[in-house]
Amino acid sequence: MAKCDLSIELDEPDRVYVGGDVITGTLHVMADSDVNCTGLEIQANWRTHGRGNVARGKSPWTTLFVGQWLSGQRESYRFELEVSDWPPSYHGNFINVDHYVDARAKIPWAFDPKASQEFLMRPISGPDPAKTKAPSALGGCIGYGVFLVVISFFVVGMGGMVVGLLTNPIVALIVGLVVFPIIALIAARSLLPKWLLGDVQVELITPHVAPGQRVRATFSFQPRRSFKLNAITADLKGTEVCVSGSGSNRTTHRNVFFEQQHVLQEGARLEAGQRQEFELDFKLPGDVPYSFDLSDNNLNWTIGLRVDIPRWPDWTKTLKLHVYPDRDAVQPAAAIESDNVRGHSDDPAVSVGGGADSPSAKHDEITFAETATHLWQLRGDAEQIDVLVDAVTGMTFEIDTYVERRLLYSGDEDPHLYKGGYAVWARHSDPPLPLVLYVPHDLGDEFEQAGRDLWHCRGTIVGWDHQHRRLQIKVLVGDG
Amino acid sequence: MSIPAKTFPTNLNCQSARPPLRWPTANLFRNPFGELTREERAEVAVVDLDPLVAWLTTAGERSATVDDELCDSDRIAQGNEVPREPVFCRFRAFQLIGDCGRGKTTRMLAIHRRFPRSSYVYLPEDEPCPAIPEGTPLLIDEAQRLPWRVRRKVFASGATLILATHNDLTGPLRRAGYQVTTQRIGLTLTADRLAEILNRRLQASRRDPRQPIPQISIQVAEQLIARHGTDIRAIESFLYDIVQAQVNQHGEMRFID
Repeated sequence: MAKCDLSIELDEPDRVYVGGDVITGTLHVMADSDVNCTGLEIQANWRTHGRGNVARGKSPWTTLFVGQWLSGQRESYRFELEVSDWPPSYHGNFINVDHYVDARAKIPWAFDPKASQEFLMRPISGPDPAKTKAPSALGGCIGYGVFLVVISFFVVGMGGMVVGLLTNPIVALIVGLVVFPIIALIAARSLLPKWLLGDVQVELITPHVAPGQRVRATFSFQPRRSFKLNAITADLKGTEVCVSGSGSNRTTHRNVFFEQQHVLQEGARLEAGQRQEFELDFKLPGDVPYSFDLSDNNLNWTIGLRVDIPRWPDWTKTLKLHVYPDRDAVQPAAAIESDNVRGHSDDPAVSVGGGADSPSAKHDEITFAETATHLWQLRGDAEQIDVLVDAVTGMTFEIDTYVERRLLYSGDEDPHLYKGGYAVWARHSDPPLPLVLYVPHDLGDEFEQAGRDLWHCRGTIVGWDHQHRRLQIKVLVGDG
Repeated sequence: MSIPAKTFPTNLNCQSARPPLRWPTANLFRNPFGELTREERAEVAVVDLDPLVAWLTTAGERSATVDDELCDSDRIAQGNEVPREPVFCRFRAFQLIGDCGRGKTTRMLAIHRRFPRSSYVYLPEDEPCPAIPEGTPLLIDEAQRLPWRVRRKVFASGATLILATHNDLTGPLRRAGYQVTTQRIGLTLTADRLAEILNRRLQASRRDPRQPIPQISIQVAEQLIARHGTDIRAIESFLYDIVQAQVNQHGEMRFID
């Protein structure tokens, strides 16, 4: 049984928060017995639940209290937390995204009591469009690529069959039963429609749209031969795609929650050489959910184009559409406030990547604690981590660490490992940034004797272990 | 020309979304049979670790270390609630062998949660072998994927091992000097046990601790076993769809009609 109970009371539980808002409330603690709490922590964070593997944000924890509670003591702590600006709250069939205020009391050698309270978040802006670039135009080069693949299969198939016939008829039979059906399938699905339609040009003019805005695309081709068509259609689809399990147990689940068909042309005869141009222009419903890509939980919007040709394989193409909040519709005051907040922010993301405040510019002054603090705050953002680690790689620091455990195996041909040396998992004293220390053989006894006490060493940053989210440091001999 | 949109049960209106009423009606905050985090899986695991602990901790050479004393004394000083960690024997191994979905990984995660100084390593398919830290005990999931060179290094360490594997590794372990016990899991599943497993999941998704939540009865568990055998993963997947459909329609829970 836990030694204390936590409960969270939000000041405005029914409010729909906007990204960047401040959520306020009170964290109540009721101690059942004397408790030594090494950290009463709270955060505003998001996480998914449903069919897919759980994805979650990486908001920092804020410590409200450190100390002792006596049996029967009741305490309340006020909190103010910033709400993440992405992803939006969403409740679907396979995927749910919820924002929470999470609290935990860290108690040594006991299970930490926890509490959570959900709230709703509506974003005012989506992710940076540059990071979610959708291909907006498609031309004929894909068709030539497919053609080359088919020809390669054909050459391999023919060659295999000739060799097989000369050496072993069973091989020839397998080639005939496997390779040729594959060639026939690819030809039927890709080449035969193109044989009729020629080179098809598709351009999605609005790859990023907001709910209620118009989706526009152009679609043109010049038929090589005259033919009759049943219809040309564009299917707008909203799909939840999530993945559960990992490795060999990885399973993808799809749920189509929205489907709308637009007919561009019906029952016509197209003449050879006569250019056909179509414009797709329709309004997206105003209440559709936004696109998001959260690790194994994605909400995708697609437009499926189809030229339905009777007694002939159809031509199809799928375009990806990004549905994000309308940035222009954001209230100016909110935008200004948001900019001001950013202007005064201590967020390292703002200063990473050069400039006078970048760590590289402050090489002479920066300490390892400062570097570790920046990395600790950025640890959920792999791209920013790379930028920062690039900037500090090669720098040497005095480092205070707590050794966690030695590695039996540190990965294939780890280039940083000293010959006869050790790889050790450790963490920095404050903040507790996880580290991989490459320790020379000569220092083996020294860190063994340190046990779980603070161990001081001098080391050079050599990289970042993305798999285990640890800063890699090569410990230097003689200065430790 | 547009054909009217088909929409399916989903909270489309994200701009004015209220907390979906479907879950509070059932006093749940999520679908209990969805994917859980590793920590949550370990928390809700229904496993009997006693045979395993008995085998790995009976008389033999002591596993390690200076840390043992440090940690134990720390704990005594704290008067803690976590059970005292047993002393593990070196060159002892426990294998869990079973098909997919029978609970190998869940057991491993539960063991990892119980012993704070253990290390858990999952070996992914078709990817380089990850770093393997020391641990007491050392748990390796999908151990049949250990590359030969790494396997030799790990087995030579003499670390107390718990392996979840599809292939029997008794031979290589014995050749490295290990004493091995193997448990084949998923051969049987009683209705009682299944009901307990599923009810723990329901409990872990409870919204208000003062209000009741739906329960899986022994009769329902029997029907689920008759339909899906011992494949717990398949049963959970089936129940996810059932629960989702029911909360979308009326909020009542009938696990099998």
